Amino acid sequence: MSNTVASPSHEAFERTTTRWGSITLFTGFLIATSVPFYLLFVADANIDFGNILTGFLAVFAVYGVFYIVEPLTYFPILGPAGMYQAFMIGNVSNKLLPSAIVAQATIGVKPGTRKGEYAATMAICGAAIIHVISMVLFVGILGTWLVSIIPEPVTNIAQLYILPAILGGVTVQLITSLKQVKSTIIALVIAALVILVLVRLVPVLAPGDVAIVVILTIIVTWFTRNKSVTDKRADGDDTVGIN
Amino acid sequence: MVIAAGAANDYIGLANAPVLWILALTVMGVVVLQSLIYMNAVKKNAESAGMSQKEVKTAFRAGGVAAIGPSLSVVLVAIALLPLFGTPPVIVRVGLIGSAATEVASASIAAGTMNANLGDETFTRGVFIVALMAMSLSGAGWMISTLILTPVFKRSSHKLEKVNPALMGIIPGAALLAAFAALTFRELPKSPTHVVAIVVSAVVMAICLFIANRFHQQWLKEWGLGISLLIGLIASYFAHYAGLGIPES
Repeated sequence: MSNTVASPSHEAFERTTTRWGSITLFTGFLIATSVPFYLLFVADANIDFGNILTGFLAVFAVYGVFYIVEPLTYFPILGPAGMYQAFMIGNVSNKLLPSAIVAQATIGVKPGTRKGEYAATMAICGAAIIHVISMVLFVGILGTWLVSIIPEPVTNIAQLYILPAILGGVTVQLITSLKQVKSTIIALVIAALVILVLVRLVPVLAPGDVAIVVILTIIVTWFTRNKSVTDKRADGDDTVGIN
Repeated sequence: MVIAAGAANDYIGLANAPVLWILALTVMGVVVLQSLIYMNAVKKNAESAGMSQKEVKTAFRAGGVAAIGPSLSVVLVAIALLPLFGTPPVIVRVGLIGSAATEVASASIAAGTMNANLGDETFTRGVFIVALMAMSLSGAGWMISTLILTPVFKRSSHKLEKVNPALMGIIPGAALLAAFAALTFRELPKSPTHVVAIVVSAVVMAICLFIANRFHQQWLKEWGLGISLLIGLIASYFAHYAGLGIPES
């Protein structure tokens, strides 16, 4: 990181975030994976490699396809820098993307611009700091006490309905800040058709449902764009992912 | 759903071992370090995108404020898992890639392969380790595939950008709208209470944004998500206990 005379540039931003993003993500992976291995070696448990492989394969059968589908779905939104943040911290759709959307709406920038990308990066950093504080303070230090005083129905409701309660608000904020009426209608119609019709008829597509909606929306938006507007807007307005 | 640990949980002391606390705190430290490096990279280069330092700060604050509501809800779910997995494993599993829901599902699937269930006497020390191993290796799957795929995607997106510069101006917005439309539609059929949660949250957000724009209350744009999440959950509480929720399993 000793680029002493580096002048502000997007290349410098991409270089730093790619190098340090991948280093930190890899470090996170090593530490997180060492937790069960530590337990395996110190605990005198009656299990063998076969048990572990069977357990993992059962989980892999359910989630394996998401290892590929989720990065593919979120890359056009997050851009390379944000990928290393998002897939370290997790909670992409319920925490990180909402934060990015709120920040872009607050300073009035659009995804797809460089300024939008920087705003999203800062927002995800802000979200990451709050995330760490909440995990260390409320789960780590106060967790055992909190679990004894919070009534079970409250926990139950939070667990069941947190995602829809976030999605309603975020989607409205996203739609109003983007102000792209046509893309909004296209996205809503395609989402309704794919999720409520296609996936029910062809259940095997279910794990890729969001990715299918994203790809179809991009294609339809692209082919129905108003060329005289979109294809001329490149005057100085650099375009990249929102993050 | 506070999952009580079964009678056989002689592993819980092990799960709270000091070494694991150190690993859990280190991993949180790595997340902070990553954020500091990224923040520095934005601050240094913001000028090149015509972004003022004030806007950089505002974006950081807005992102942090927006994350408060979702973070507290994740905390509620995470602490329910403490008696079952111990504190450091919960911090590492819920605090890194994945979510409480994914982790519980993975643990329960892995336990199933040993004919055990979460939270009863079949969930022994051995089952606990197998479950945690499966959750960790699965989380590693996401991380490794991101490390491999991101450079690949990056090269192809640079190629696309050369073919037609307008493409990258359209794709991110369309992809965002599509992702959130799809995620929302996926929640709708689950139960009438899910519909209540979505609609109430959406209406509250619309009101917040209307007030924010009409009366120039900038802070409401930042706090809108927290407010709509909270009121959405309160509405869900009443709807759920009025019998509109998912049937208890």
